Amino acid sequence: MWWIVGFVVLLIKVAVVLGVLFGFAAGMVLVERKLLGRLQIRYGPNRVGPFGLLQPVADGLKLLLKEDIVPKGADRIIFFFAPAVVALVPLLIAAVVPFSSDLKIGETRIPVLIADLNVGLLFFLAVASLSVYGVALGGWASNSKYSMLGSVRGAAQLISYELSLGLSLVPVVMLAGSFSLVDIVNAQAEYPFILVQPVSFLIFFISSMAESNRLPFDLPEAENELIGGFHTEYSGMRFALYFLGEYISMVVLGALVAVFFLGGWRGPVLPPLAWFLIKTMITPVFFIWTRATLPRVRYDQLMQLGWKILLPLCLVNIIATGGIALLVRS
Amino acid sequence: MNENESRLGRIMDGIGGIVDSYAVTLKHLFRKPITEQYPEQKKVLPERTRARIVLTRDPEGEERCVSCYLCEAVCPTDCISMEGAERGDGRRYALWFRINFARCIFCGLCEEACPTLAIQLTPDFEFSKYHVLDLVYEKEDLLIEGCGKNSEYNYYEHAGVAVGFDKGEHPGEAKPVDVKSNMP
Amino acid sequence: MPRLVIDDREIEVPEGTKVIDAAGRLGIMIPRFCYHEALGAVGACRMCAVKFLQGPFKGVQMSCMVDAKDGMVVSTTDAEAVAFRKWVIEWLMKNHPHDCPVCDEGGHCLLQDETVSSDHSRRRFLGSKRTYRDQYLGPYVQHEMNRCIHCYRCSRFYREYAGYRDLGAMQIADKVYFGRFRDGRLESPFSGNLVDLCPTGVYTDKTSRFKVRRWDLERAPSVCIGCSLGCNTVAGAQFRAVLRIEARTNPDVNGHFICDAGRFGYSYTNGGAGFRQRPREPMAAGAGIGREGALERAFGALEEVARKYGPESVAALGSDRNSVETQCALKKMCAAKGYLPPVFFLDPAARRKTCEAVARLDERIAFSRSELESADFVIIAGADPLNEAAMSALALRQAFRKGGRIVVIDPRPVSMPFDFEHIPVVPEAIPRIFGMIVANSIPGEGGGLDANAGKFLRKLDRRSEDATLQSRIEDLAAGLAAAKRPAIVCGTGIVDETTPAFAADCALLLYRAGKRAGVFYVLPGANSYSSAVLSENDGRTFADILEAMEGGSVRALVVVENDLFRNFPDTRRLEEALARLELLIVIDYLPTGLENRASVFFPSSTAFETGSTFINQEGRAQFAHPVHAGGVPILGGSPEHVFRPDVPGGGQKPAWSILHGLETGLSGSGGISAEEIIASHPAFGAIAPLRYPVDGVRVIPVQSKEEFTSQSVSGGEPAPPRGLRLLLVDWMFGTGEISAYSDTLLESIPEPVLTMHSADAERAGLLDGQEVALRLEGGTVEVRLRVTEKMAEGVILLPRHQNLRWQKIRGFPALIDPERIAAL
Ligand code: SF4
Ligand code: SF4
Ligand code: SF4
Ligand code: SF4
Ligand code: FES
Repeated sequence: MWWIVGFVVLLIKVAVVLGVLFGFAAGMVLVERKLLGRLQIRYGPNRVGPFGLLQPVADGLKLLLKEDIVPKGADRIIFFFAPAVVALVPLLIAAVVPFSSDLKIGETRIPVLIADLNVGLLFFLAVASLSVYGVALGGWASNSKYSMLGSVRGAAQLISYELSLGLSLVPVVMLAGSFSLVDIVNAQAEYPFILVQPVSFLIFFISSMAESNRLPFDLPEAENELIGGFHTEYSGMRFALYFLGEYISMVVLGALVAVFFLGGWRGPVLPPLAWFLIKTMITPVFFIWTRATLPRVRYDQLMQLGWKILLPLCLVNIIATGGIALLVRS
Repeated sequence: MNENESRLGRIMDGIGGIVDSYAVTLKHLFRKPITEQYPEQKKVLPERTRARIVLTRDPEGEERCVSCYLCEAVCPTDCISMEGAERGDGRRYALWFRINFARCIFCGLCEEACPTLAIQLTPDFEFSKYHVLDLVYEKEDLLIEGCGKNSEYNYYEHAGVAVGFDKGEHPGEAKPVDVKSNMP
Repeated sequence: MPRLVIDDREIEVPEGTKVIDAAGRLGIMIPRFCYHEALGAVGACRMCAVKFLQGPFKGVQMSCMVDAKDGMVVSTTDAEAVAFRKWVIEWLMKNHPHDCPVCDEGGHCLLQDETVSSDHSRRRFLGSKRTYRDQYLGPYVQHEMNRCIHCYRCSRFYREYAGYRDLGAMQIADKVYFGRFRDGRLESPFSGNLVDLCPTGVYTDKTSRFKVRRWDLERAPSVCIGCSLGCNTVAGAQFRAVLRIEARTNPDVNGHFICDAGRFGYSYTNGGAGFRQRPREPMAAGAGIGREGALERAFGALEEVARKYGPESVAALGSDRNSVETQCALKKMCAAKGYLPPVFFLDPAARRKTCEAVARLDERIAFSRSELESADFVIIAGADPLNEAAMSALALRQAFRKGGRIVVIDPRPVSMPFDFEHIPVVPEAIPRIFGMIVANSIPGEGGGLDANAGKFLRKLDRRSEDATLQSRIEDLAAGLAAAKRPAIVCGTGIVDETTPAFAADCALLLYRAGKRAGVFYVLPGANSYSSAVLSENDGRTFADILEAMEGGSVRALVVVENDLFRNFPDTRRLEEALARLELLIVIDYLPTGLENRASVFFPSSTAFETGSTFINQEGRAQFAHPVHAGGVPILGGSPEHVFRPDVPGGGQKPAWSILHGLETGLSGSGGISAEEIIASHPAFGAIAPLRYPVDGVRVIPVQSKEEFTSQSVSGGEPAPPRGLRLLLVDWMFGTGEISAYSDTLLESIPEPVLTMHSADAERAGLLDGQEVALRLEGGTVEVRLRVTEKMAEGVILLPRHQNLRWQKIRGFPALIDPERIAAL
């Protein structure tokens, strides 16, 4: 019998996580546009509903109703599925994120996450690198030079930053002594890792910006040179999937930053879930702020930053962390 | 200053620049937006704003355009076309004249080229259409009743052709030469 | 050969070259208004000022007035010269009206160019501007005298170069006026050249008045197909309409000018009045049918006829306005399908005259039009230059201006803008008379000539029974004897069949006698040369096909660009024969009326719409480049607001491409290749495949196969015929096949008249100006009578006029009993 209950609970959790994530993604669209507007002394969307609050609904409707165009000569099957990959990846990652301390119902403790993998961190890294397929294949399948260029850029960029993303987490694992995200949160019971690993945090933050193709690293999309890059040829719901993917991944990355560096749901006074939400939002808001602030980097600068600065920095950081850890323990 | 210092300086400079920019945008966050809420708030545009193009008339009420093709020639988007014709009294005019506003970039070069002050850009920019072909304006749509920005100029007053003014009657002209007399 | 330095570059030029031309050879364009290569220098405008730094004299001088001399060092950019030219512009602009926007010259105006380049933009002169009243100068040339800068180009061309008197300079000092004594049509048929020549907008093209700016025209080098000379033109099109023809300079062919019929007779390609006349879509039995459908039906029907009656039951007729490509494609199609070989001539006499003329042209004696200009003695035999090939009259005028003597032996009342001697005789007497002139010009029995030439000379008559004629001939012969570059201009229209070959032999005789002699034929149509070459070994003409149609052995006919009802002299017979056909396929761009009778009609492209080669009367292959894509012109109202992928009224294809379709049953753009054209006839070898399309190559042989083979004309005066011989004649306006469909020319077309010698008229009791009825076998022609003394007795002249139903003649030569001409 227990497994049925467990299954139901799991289903409920999945539904809740999906709902919340989609809700957040939609909300993020509005938040981003509003915030960007204010950062640029504009209002942002203010026409649909009170204060433009219904803008995400309007956007969604619009995208739903748009004609679904498949370019001539496109590889139809790949063209159809590529956007799904992009949207799927952050959803999968969300499966290993612990949102709160365990829920207690009577005697039963229900962990507030979908799957507490003991290799959660590796799972995250493995799945995250899949999103490159969405970008590369979508651009390639469109049979358009702009898309092709966008996806080539996207692939190169994702691969480059994948490395520093992964390596920047090694010190975290070293400190926590576990790949499980729950353990990592628990390891920050006394202090969040950002205090001891600011370099790691910075690298992870920058790399995740690059991973989610956001300014200043949005070269695969580069509207003014590539007219949208890998998704130039997409329209309607398929385009919406790319769009959704980007925003969900922003939120999920925010959650991961919270888990890895900000101590997860831990915090005084407020309930754990609230703390978690607040910490999760820090990263996306900073992403948006960055978008309002920094211009796009040049492609060679992007590559140099990844390979010549971030990567060596990661390695140095790992060695340093190892050394200090050895010293402290011995 | 040795090289390392300068490199360090450059790095600090760069970081400073980034932090500064974040500060600037952050400050903006707390300023009142400067957006004008069109269409509720409509700005009165300056007279020389370049938007919808009109064909004006001279003070006598005649079409100013003489179909000289200069605006058509200068137009960078090739959106003006016309055919010239001769009216009964010899006046040169545009039999038809069209501007494809779907292509016009409102650069104002046509107005600059026009020797008769016929073609003028106006501040009226609100004329979007649901169908592109509806943006193709014919002479009937372009021609207005008034003189536009200049209420005096009448090209035919200054030309030498006998339209509106006979030979020798334009300001600054001598009486026509009498070819059958050698009197000075 | 003087060597001089212009702008630091050295050049050697022939003696007598003006400095302005020497600079031109270096690619330095010295500004000029009055100087013109063809008209020479007068130094009227002072615009060509340059500074002479070294040499016979120094200082600012007019480069058009100074002959290049050894040791000259010239600067065109010297500050003093530049300032001088700037002042010239300023003083010219002193009186110039503020007209550019309404001036049709604007955009290709020399004055405008020079004003802009000399940076003159502000009027400093406070005095008033001189004005003139304008004149009505006819339907082609618009007058706006205020714009004149007194370069005198117009009057020099009109009076001196072309020889007409009704336009010129009047008044004195700064009031000089260029115009006519009173309003009226310009009499010169070369008046259109004023438009090209005038450096300002005084004379502008009235047919395209206000319609277009030069910069908007799609322009391409083209060739006029109005007559056999093939004058070079530049055609300009806009809004899917050809709107302006300009003369293109070709020193060998037309020099700098063209005639008015060629310049203004372009509107057939636009569809004439209202642009509606031209048939633009494929039709079956008068009703529209798509391009594919038409091809399917025509191809199927041709196969059917060939299967039922054999391929020899299919005949094909081309014409002189086919391009070489079309004629070769027609020949190729007939050969490939086993049809009867195509014919290009209507009757055997026309074929023979043209073929003999073409066979005799070779590099020794074929004169080009420019060589005609420097001839010093010209015998015009059976040709009416102004009416049959107008620009040749302008060439003859130049020969006259250089002191040449010109004699016309022709029954018609020939008129040309210079003095010439006219011996009006009936056509059969023409060769004998010019033979006598030639014979008498060679002293003795022609010692020193080779055997053939001597034999030919001995066969020529020397004496006429008519004493006055004899003394005239001797006088002319003396002139010819003194000439160094004599020319024989020979027509192929009214002359007898043997005359063209005889003319060539006479020219050859003079050539053998040591003169730089030549013959200049006037052929019936634009591409007659090619027609003749391609029917060289095939004596059949449309006359034979017509008989076969009547006899029932020809069941299908393909007519390619031939206005049969206009050209064939017996409409009734033609109609009956056409009615017996099972299949009539017509390919044309003119609304000849055949398109409605045709089982299947295909619209073809005009020379303005497809690249096509034409070979002119001296054997020069010239390529007319396509100017535009065709379609119904968008003129006269603003175009509809629609999107459409096709060109309205763009159903036409080049005739050769249609023929290719009829041959293969395949639509598409295939056609005829350069190799296939060359394979059609050895003469076309000059159109070498690597260089196709060729322009200006002469396809004549070095030496013709035939020499002194013409039937000699001897044996005394021919017996006067019983009755009046009816001659069909061409006029410059009103009789042309193409010009008939050009509404631009309508105003020039004179009323048709039957012309008759006054003695003949008196005998028949007819008066000048009377309406007469001419009873022909096929019916009556009502026409006004003109009586003149300036023509031969015994002939009457009837123009192939477009407003006259003259096609009622059973056969040639047509002898008319004077009683059959009666006053109405
Ligand atoms: S404003 Fe510029 S683009 Fe528009 S019609 Fe005038 S010249 Fe053309
Ligand atoms: S420039 Fe002026 S006068 Fe000339 S065609 Fe254009 S509107 Fe007419
Ligand atoms: S003649 Fe030339 S300069 Fe004079 S009004 Fe005409 S275009 Fe202008
Ligand atoms: S009318 Fe023209 S060609 Fe004649 S003198 Fe004047 S400017 Fe020269
Ligand atoms: S061109 Fe020399 S004076 Fe006119």
